[in-house]
Amino acid sequence: MAQQGEKKKKESILDLSRFIDKTIRVKFQGGREVSGVLKGYDPLLNLVLDGATEYLRDPDDPFKITDDTRELGLTVCRGTSVVLICPSDNMEPIANPFLQQDG
Amino acid sequence: MLPLSLLRTAQNHPMLVELKNGETYNGHLVACDNWMNINLREVICTSRDGDRFWRMPECYIRGSTIKYLRIPDEVIDMVKEEVVAKSRGRGGGGGRGRGRGGGGRGGAFGRGGRGGKGDNRRPNRGGGPMRS
Repeated sequence: MAQQGEKKKKESILDLSRFIDKTIRVKFQGGREVSGVLKGYDPLLNLVLDGATEYLRDPDDPFKITDDTRELGLTVCRGTSVVLICPSDNMEPIANPFLQQDG
Repeated sequence: MLPLSLLRTAQNHPMLVELKNGETYNGHLVACDNWMNINLREVICTSRDGDRFWRMPECYIRGSTIKYLRIPDEVIDMVKEEVVAKSRGRGGGGGRGRGRGGGGRGGAFGRGGRGGKGDNRRPNRGGGPMRS
């Protein structure tokens, strides 16, 4: 049923074809984060990531990711557990951008 | 006023999205769908503890992981017109007039409170976002 609705309602608001063969960053329910080259996808947001790298988390604080990584290789990511997708390049840590605005 | 109508009206406006995992995302809404999946542009991500930040040109967020969204006040004035226009446009079947009845603004959902009331566990983390 839900699928039918999705079909009727044109395509997804996210055009994943733009990201094909590009590196994307994916966050999952439960806190894992992975980046990899998008090789395929479906409307349910299942993803095929090549050369996937998981960013490991601080064992003491599972919400904090560290610089440690783990190579996963070729993966299929389950769409139902995907929380967030963004292009990996141009994603950069920055200083607190809200400080000056608060004044 | 339906939550998703308001959200649709807020397209191209800046907003703050907090996820269930506590991360917040500030950005301009590009698109949303009936599942509340959203597409943001020029995003600033704030970590759960509020002391780390990332900039990303765009991101896609799954609706089911959203805790709440904060939307600029002025959007609420725009949503009304759209609802009326829509119910007129639908015309045809007298069936399910959405909107119409939903008259009064404000009411139960006190919009006044600016200070992240939504989340009692971690009041006032670093960088009270949105306010831009």
